[in-house]
Amino acid sequence: MTKPPSVPIRMAAIGMDQRQRNALRMLFSTKCGNRYVLMEEDSSEICILDLDAFGGERLWEEFRERHPQRPLILVSLRAREASDDFTLFVQKPIPVDRLITAIEHQRRHLSAKNEDVAHLPPLDIQPPLAEQAGQPEIQQPRKQHATRKAASLMSESMERAFVGTSPNIDPKDPEQLAKIYYNPEHYLQGHLQQALNLAVRHNKDIAVEGPWPAIHLFYESRKIRVSAKERQLRPYCTIPDATLEVPLRFLDQEKNSADGAREYSIAAFHWQLALWASRGRLPIGTDLSQPIYLRRWPNFTRLVVTPYALAIAALWAEQPRSLVDTAQTLNIPQRYVFAFYSAAKAIQLAGETRRAVDTLLAPSAVEKSKHHGLLGRLLGRLRGDKEQT
Amino acid sequence: MSDYKIIFSGPVGVGKTTAIGAISDVEPVTTDEQATDMARTQKPGTTVAMDYGMIKLGERERIHLYGTPGQERFDFMWEILTQGGIGLILLVSNNRPDPFHDMHFFLDTFKAFIGNSKVVIGVTQMDLADKPRIEDYHLQLEDSGVKIPIFEVDARMKNDVSLLVEALLYSLDPGLEG
Ligand SMILES: Nc1nc2c(ncn2[C@@H]2O[C@H](COP(=O)(O)OP(=O)(O)OP(=O)(O)O)[C@@H](O)[C@H]2O)c(=O)[nH]1
Ligand SMILES: [Mg+2]
Repeated sequence: MTKPPSVPIRMAAIGMDQRQRNALRMLFSTKCGNRYVLMEEDSSEICILDLDAFGGERLWEEFRERHPQRPLILVSLRAREASDDFTLFVQKPIPVDRLITAIEHQRRHLSAKNEDVAHLPPLDIQPPLAEQAGQPEIQQPRKQHATRKAASLMSESMERAFVGTSPNIDPKDPEQLAKIYYNPEHYLQGHLQQALNLAVRHNKDIAVEGPWPAIHLFYESRKIRVSAKERQLRPYCTIPDATLEVPLRFLDQEKNSADGAREYSIAAFHWQLALWASRGRLPIGTDLSQPIYLRRWPNFTRLVVTPYALAIAALWAEQPRSLVDTAQTLNIPQRYVFAFYSAAKAIQLAGETRRAVDTLLAPSAVEKSKHHGLLGRLLGRLRGDKEQT
Repeated sequence: MSDYKIIFSGPVGVGKTTAIGAISDVEPVTTDEQATDMARTQKPGTTVAMDYGMIKLGERERIHLYGTPGQERFDFMWEILTQGGIGLILLVSNNRPDPFHDMHFFLDTFKAFIGNSKVVIGVTQMDLADKPRIEDYHLQLEDSGVKIPIFEVDARMKNDVSLLVEALLYSLDPGLEG
């Protein structure tokens, strides 16, 4: 390999979120001896573009319009042909050494900029075929689950409403697999999402009205007002297609709120609608073996806390993990993991990883704290106290 | 008898004394005194040495809850206070002039301790000032690479403080209930 240049190469990441950027930044500083630095696109020399980002193809097109000749490294989970001399393709999950090879290749490209670039040797950076991860094995729970009561402050009927009662499934059994999905778009949850999109696009308040109690979305203050009690609203949130043919409209002036009206933050309301719709199921298309990341901890003091939600969050905050592996690691029924994921996904706090490092490394075992027993007893105490109030 | 500590810290007037009182089994011991410049903090007392509370677990175990004094000039005590602590609860207030600065300052001050344990952050007094939002606090820490629980907390509400402590416990040991 060529010796490190004294001035680091200025890289930019396009179509990558903060999390992915951080991963790259970490990689550059820990594994690459700071030969590369991450910058904004304007001041960069080589760019990495994630085709799997939302609108990735368009990002690529627009990038090429802006910079017809800037060296680009395209990454995606699906194999692609790079279309020109200035573009290299690397398939995800990206092995670190392949990424470095690609950058170094593009670097030579840089220094050769004013010469004839077509003379650069072709580069083989396809991943080896044999790198297919096996499906995780489903094992029987190691032991009986902790009592539901200890884990939850919810009454049983509340828990049924938010998490359902579905049994564990074997992801290899297509028949069982078919039962764990729901389509958020078919529920009031999806209708609310549309209202939110509309509010964002027009910077306006929206009325989400239909046969259900009126829901008013106040965009500026990030509030939702519902004109009735929860138990009147919930039935509409649990049946699919209640929202067919019901248009959204802009809310021109604030109406007087009816008796029993409730106010929520948009996030808390959305979270709750997702739980009601999901009842321990997953948004359709969710891959059970793909690691799940947690973008940040949910603001749990202002959300419905389902059983084991804090444990799951703590686990994912350390490292992405698949849904099935999460249930196994924590030794809890899958529906708790599925319910939490559906809610966190709805407010964009969780998702399937698309980051190279996440699919590259197998998650490590959870470490038991040396104070494990004590922490458990303290937890029991804090919960017990709350139950009395 | 086994003794453990949880540390509550944060700037002046954010609710440390109140939070400890909310979950302590014993009448909290505080060393509040009527400061001469109380008009500034607009509350009856400020803690000059430390707060103390305790949670008893059965006959044999106790969790001591220590609060650092809010005024930064007492920082020589902090090092001693944290010794043997199992985690840090950092409170910041939305109702102070620069809560981001406060947060960074305290995370930095306790860097060594946090490195060996865990921290959770409670943002208090959001009913008095609704901005910055919780997301804004997360954004401030985005580059740090660690995901810290940050919750909206009213230090007077036992449930809020409990949940914050629970998040600390799970951060220390996600498999707590396994
Ligand atoms: N409105 C409101 N008041 C709060 C909240 N949290 C705490 N308080 C109040 O804030 C005031 C200050 O709380 P303390 O517990 O004395 O604060 P402290 O951090 O111990 O202050 P120092 O000892 O001076 O550092 C008290 O009157 C609390 O009741 C909150 O979320 N909202
Ligand atoms: Mg005090």
